[in-house]
Amino acid sequence: MNRRVVRVVGSALIALVLVSDVAAAQDAPPALAIGAHAIGLFTQATHTPEGRTLTEAYLTQPIVSADARAGWLQAIGMLNLEGLTLRRGELDVGEWGEGYVDRRHPHAYLHELMVGVATSSTPVVASLYAGRGFVPFGSDDPMSRPFVSYPVDHHLAQLLERLVVVGAVRARALLLEAAAFDGDEPLGPSTPELARRFADSWSVRGTLSHALPALGDAELAASYANVKSPEYREGQGMDQRKAHASLRVDGGGRFAHYVLAELARTTEVDRGRDLYTFDAALAEGAVCRAEAGLALRWERADRPEEERLVDLFRAPRPATDLSILGITQWTTLTVAAALPALRLFGAHAAPFLEAARIRVDRTTAALFDPVRFYGSNLMWRTSVGLRLGVGHDHRREGRYGAAVPTASTSLHAHDEPSPAHCFR
Amino acid sequence: MKLARTCRLLSLAVLSGCLFDRGTAATPHASCALAGGSPSGGDAMAVIGCGIIDSRYTAEVAVRDSFAYTTTWGFRSAPGNMVAVWNVSGDEPVLVDSIIVSGSSTLGDVAISDDGALLVVATERTNGSLVVFDRSNPRHPRQLSRLATPETFNGVHTAEIGRIAGRLYAILAVDPLGGAPTPESKIVIVDLGDPVNPREVYVKSVPGSAPFVHDTFLRDGLLFVALWNNGIEIWDLGGGGQGGTPAAPVVLGGVQTIGGDAHNVWWLHDPVSGSRYAFVGEESGPAQLGVSSVGDIHVLDVSDLAHPREVAFYHVPGAGTHNFSVDETNGILYAAYYNAGVRALDVRGDLETCTPSQQETTGNLVRCDLGAMARETGRGLSGGTPAVYVWGVQYLGRMVYASDMLNGLWKLRAVR
Repeated sequence: MNRRVVRVVGSALIALVLVSDVAAAQDAPPALAIGAHAIGLFTQATHTPEGRTLTEAYLTQPIVSADARAGWLQAIGMLNLEGLTLRRGELDVGEWGEGYVDRRHPHAYLHELMVGVATSSTPVVASLYAGRGFVPFGSDDPMSRPFVSYPVDHHLAQLLERLVVVGAVRARALLLEAAAFDGDEPLGPSTPELARRFADSWSVRGTLSHALPALGDAELAASYANVKSPEYREGQGMDQRKAHASLRVDGGGRFAHYVLAELARTTEVDRGRDLYTFDAALAEGAVCRAEAGLALRWERADRPEEERLVDLFRAPRPATDLSILGITQWTTLTVAAALPALRLFGAHAAPFLEAARIRVDRTTAALFDPVRFYGSNLMWRTSVGLRLGVGHDHRREGRYGAAVPTASTSLHAHDEPSPAHCFR
Repeated sequence: MKLARTCRLLSLAVLSGCLFDRGTAATPHASCALAGGSPSGGDAMAVIGCGIIDSRYTAEVAVRDSFAYTTTWGFRSAPGNMVAVWNVSGDEPVLVDSIIVSGSSTLGDVAISDDGALLVVATERTNGSLVVFDRSNPRHPRQLSRLATPETFNGVHTAEIGRIAGRLYAILAVDPLGGAPTPESKIVIVDLGDPVNPREVYVKSVPGSAPFVHDTFLRDGLLFVALWNNGIEIWDLGGGGQGGTPAAPVVLGGVQTIGGDAHNVWWLHDPVSGSRYAFVGEESGPAQLGVSSVGDIHVLDVSDLAHPREVAFYHVPGAGTHNFSVDETNGILYAAYYNAGVRALDVRGDLETCTPSQQETTGNLVRCDLGAMARETGRGLSGGTPAVYVWGVQYLGRMVYASDMLNGLWKLRAVR
């Protein structure tokens, strides 16, 4: 039997199991929560391509999010307007993906629209969500973490903006998620997925929360994904095998704190042959007191180097063969400080500062030479900005229904306390 | 307690960052100062001279009479938008002119017409095109036209040029491009009968199973198309007797080469074996440009054009092949071998009869190993200093010209 059929049938079986218990959630009253957020950002980066120091300002991460519940149906949506405000990408040396290099690509307008159901029984809670959204793989999306700049490992440690069906089952401390999705990455903010590619890829994630006294309130997670041709939309490019493990700590109290440590590996595969492997390690944390806070992130991540276009911040998609220009290793230390927010009529504006020391090294003597390309292998990026927001706060991203740690019937992670709240 | 634990974790992360910074390897300098010495390492193909290009990566080479033309690729210190014109009449190639092709990031291919009148250059990536130059003054080619159409938009990877029924045509291998109106890779045939007004006469997308086409080979009205995962196809454009024309090719046959990744082809016309063999270059992976490459030369018996079959191969451990040039008078194939320099193979006579110890079996296919058959007759630029990454070769007048991505243009003595 076709693997794709197995995956879809498996999802349907989960749905049947859910039906028997969904009724319990019907008593919840209809609810709708809407919010809007954006970050006004002023960034300066040294040693961008050709050695230039660039200073830019723009509105990044402009989103409108909504959660809705009506009877047994739950929905989560997020519009991301970076296609309007960040068409050339956000200046972020080291960042890569979806044809952008040294700039973070704008996300899809329809960033997330997931509809699902969840049981309310205990001790076993189950849910089934479908739509366009996050694949259960890796760690939380960087947008919901303390730093405005994305880590270099974004495309090694998250999978998002896919047509996806996610089933989740939680039994006490153990959470299991499985998904079928389309492997192709978006070509641009307005490009929909190819429906015919749905379920050509799959992922699984296991999470252990608050289970071991020694780990306190830590959450351990491990995930694996088999992604077909993410960079060749028609499906003929290299596949990816992705693995990820993480430790995450959330703690409240007088000094709220947050820590994430993760390891990620992606192997690119051509017709069953392993070609390239990219590794990443990241540790980040934040401490908040009231609305002021400090955050620190260290990261070391591999990046494939590819031919650049006339615009040196862009690389062609898809590649035209199996070669690369080398693998670089990016070591980044980022510090961020959040200041108390100004509040007016329910809206807030929270100032922040962020600075990063970025070092890039070659791993071989392949063509791409960072010293030659950037003028140095050591760069600095400094940013100041304002986090603007009104209404519903969209917090931890990438988990749905039963996968949300605190409430079996919650729509998303919104009910979860946010220790790093001063960075929102 | 929780805060203390958090602080310890953060401190550990910072300390790790400080302790494990890795040194950056020294940037290799482009140089052929050791020309004639260690680059050839005592091989049969002695270095006569070289011309350095350090600001750009060099790509393909085309030579005629006393002039060589090399294209450029990607971005080094400057973009790959330059054609270098070399006077190669002396030992050392001398740069005499350079042509900047606007709006391009890579000029992956260059070719000269059989009468020497025209020079064509393929441009990549987006807004790809075919640029046609007049070679009346070969030292300073003059642009005649530039064909940029929706069919070439994705980027023209290679442009081969040849004559069919007395009329000149260019065969373009066009890149795939995500989000383009026609995102797939394709073959475009261009009528160059009026080089000032080149005209597309045929377009065909390659099958998704391929999914790339990098190169073609046109000879005697037959077009050999390298179809990557699908091996090669042979098209009748007027020489196959099946009614094909440049505007309406007829597929005669094809074969899936072992391992796929079929990149380029040379159909040999040999005084001894005739037109029996075609050589296919495999461009496989993993390959980190500048240091590593993978891919064999595959030998096809094409005496039955409808049913070509693979009969032999040549393998270099730790390196892969790229473009070919053949001295057909002496039966020597010169192959660019990226990080392994240049290899010369004796391709005269029967290549598919060998002893059991010279055979290799893959599935049901038994092939002769040209290496085991001692068909290798020379090496150039291999294993020496500076490191090389040879993209293309051309044999001309007992010399072999090798374009090297890292260093520029080398002039080597041919093995015969």
